[in-house]
Amino acid sequence: MLVAMADLRMAMQVRYVKLGIVGMGALGPLMAIIMISVFVIFPTTEEETSLILGIMIPMAGTLLAVFSVIPATLIAANSLVGEREQDTLEPLLCTPLTDRELLWGKTLSSLIPSLTILLAGTAVVMIVTNVIFVLYGRPMMLVPDLAGLFLILTAGPAIILTAVSINILISGKVKRVYEAYQTSGAIILVLMIPMFAPIIGMESGIPNTSMVWTVNIVTTLIAATLMIVTWSLAVKRFNRDRMISLR
Amino acid sequence: MDEVVLTGLTKNFGELVAVSEVNLEVPEGTIFGLLGPNGAGKSTTIRLLCTLLRPSDGTATVAGYDIIQNPVDVRQITGVLPEEGNHTLYPSMTGYENLQYFARLYGVPEEEIDGRIEELLTFMELWDRRDDKAGQLSTGNRQRLALCRALLHKPKVLLLDEPTSALDPVAAKRVRELILNFAKKYKQTFFINSHNLAEVQRICDSIAIIDEGKIVLTGKTTELREKLHGLQEYEIRVTGGVSKAESVLKTVDYVEIQRAEIDTIVVRIRDPMQNNSKLMRKLLDAGINIVEFSEEEATLEDLYLQTIKGGAK
Repeated sequence: MLVAMADLRMAMQVRYVKLGIVGMGALGPLMAIIMISVFVIFPTTEEETSLILGIMIPMAGTLLAVFSVIPATLIAANSLVGEREQDTLEPLLCTPLTDRELLWGKTLSSLIPSLTILLAGTAVVMIVTNVIFVLYGRPMMLVPDLAGLFLILTAGPAIILTAVSINILISGKVKRVYEAYQTSGAIILVLMIPMFAPIIGMESGIPNTSMVWTVNIVTTLIAATLMIVTWSLAVKRFNRDRMISLR
Repeated sequence: MDEVVLTGLTKNFGELVAVSEVNLEVPEGTIFGLLGPNGAGKSTTIRLLCTLLRPSDGTATVAGYDIIQNPVDVRQITGVLPEEGNHTLYPSMTGYENLQYFARLYGVPEEEIDGRIEELLTFMELWDRRDDKAGQLSTGNRQRLALCRALLHKPKVLLLDEPTSALDPVAAKRVRELILNFAKKYKQTFFINSHNLAEVQRICDSIAIIDEGKIVLTGKTTELREKLHGLQEYEIRVTGGVSKAESVLKTVDYVEIQRAEIDTIVVRIRDPMQNNSKLMRKLLDAGINIVEFSEEEATLEDLYLQTIKGGAK
């Protein structure tokens, strides 16, 4: 926890990381709220509104998950490769921390803020959209819907942990923070599958709920597999020698 | 008892042999200096000893703990000042916070942390700057702060990589005093990397010279000083030019002329205790007016250079 707190504090000193955390933390919920509310606030036919909400509400969950992964990649890239770049890694590796303790510290520093962003963002979206629904005379709804919440609570943390594990894995191979950030950031692509599922799965103008669930469950399974594989590899392959030799 | 023992310690980086079959013993409570030019393998040796790097072959023990078998124990009982230590602090944390963070990582009891930090910062004359961000401190102050960090958990062995590099002479002197004080007060063992020969000569009990990853010379500083006698040079300043004196000196079998300048000849004299007065008499008898006959103090640098060049191998 000590390492995690220090890491987070250091990360917040880097301007683009700070902007990334605050920006992404706000952008996800904001986009989800706008996406859903705009069709409620501006009058369309009831049929159109129901159809659009049927697409947008499942997408909201994915959107929130995507925007919570970005801060994780930013913090994780800074906490290992960034420390080496700043020359602060060597004293840390000289402390009696075991590899596992060190990696948990590094992981928690990314996991805690990202999960906070994800859960707080979800709560904000849930509250704000329903306030808008009530104000505009619509019945209250679960936003994100159940399939979205399932994705947020399962695939979200799994993808965040995968992003951190990838950072640990590549920390002995890449020299610069931006390389680490770009490489681990690619994991967001996994969340693109459920993002488009509501549109692709539409059948004669009606969103296919069972397909959304199926895609979300498959995404969760992929995310969980990736998480287990990358975390195991990260712990197994973490090598102080390689971290120090690569200068 | 030997506190640090290196046995055939070897480290390769691909084709490059950074440290080659190094064998060394450093007794408990002594200050040991590892001397060598840049790229000789000094920093790699320290990184191997603090378990940052894994040896390609051989091993080492620190306070009885094997660096391969017991890396966590080794890290617990060593304090490390890495190369360019002044860059290794968290710049956005204050000096106090930097030390507090590492004290906790090293498991210093919570109730002792504040007292220990105060003691070290006061000793280093940094107490008044404790709330300054580390990034805002001068190079010298950062180096002293990094040294405080290495000493925080009262380690049995201190591994210091170029502790006075990048320091002005006053700050360097302060660091040397600190090392001597701590070695005396806490009976700690110091393993110091340096290319500053004068520094090593002043504070180290024993030294080793490393070149191209191999130990080329090792011994107690006092023993090595004795070896310097053969390298002792004498400066003879005369009036009326050096050519006459030079021709006289060439006839003397225990004198080796090193160089001749306008009014000065630098020579090495075999068995100077016996021959110096004899030589002076000979020169005076030849009508040479001696203005000055002085001993140039030989330093470890002479021995070091001679060793590195291959002369004393």
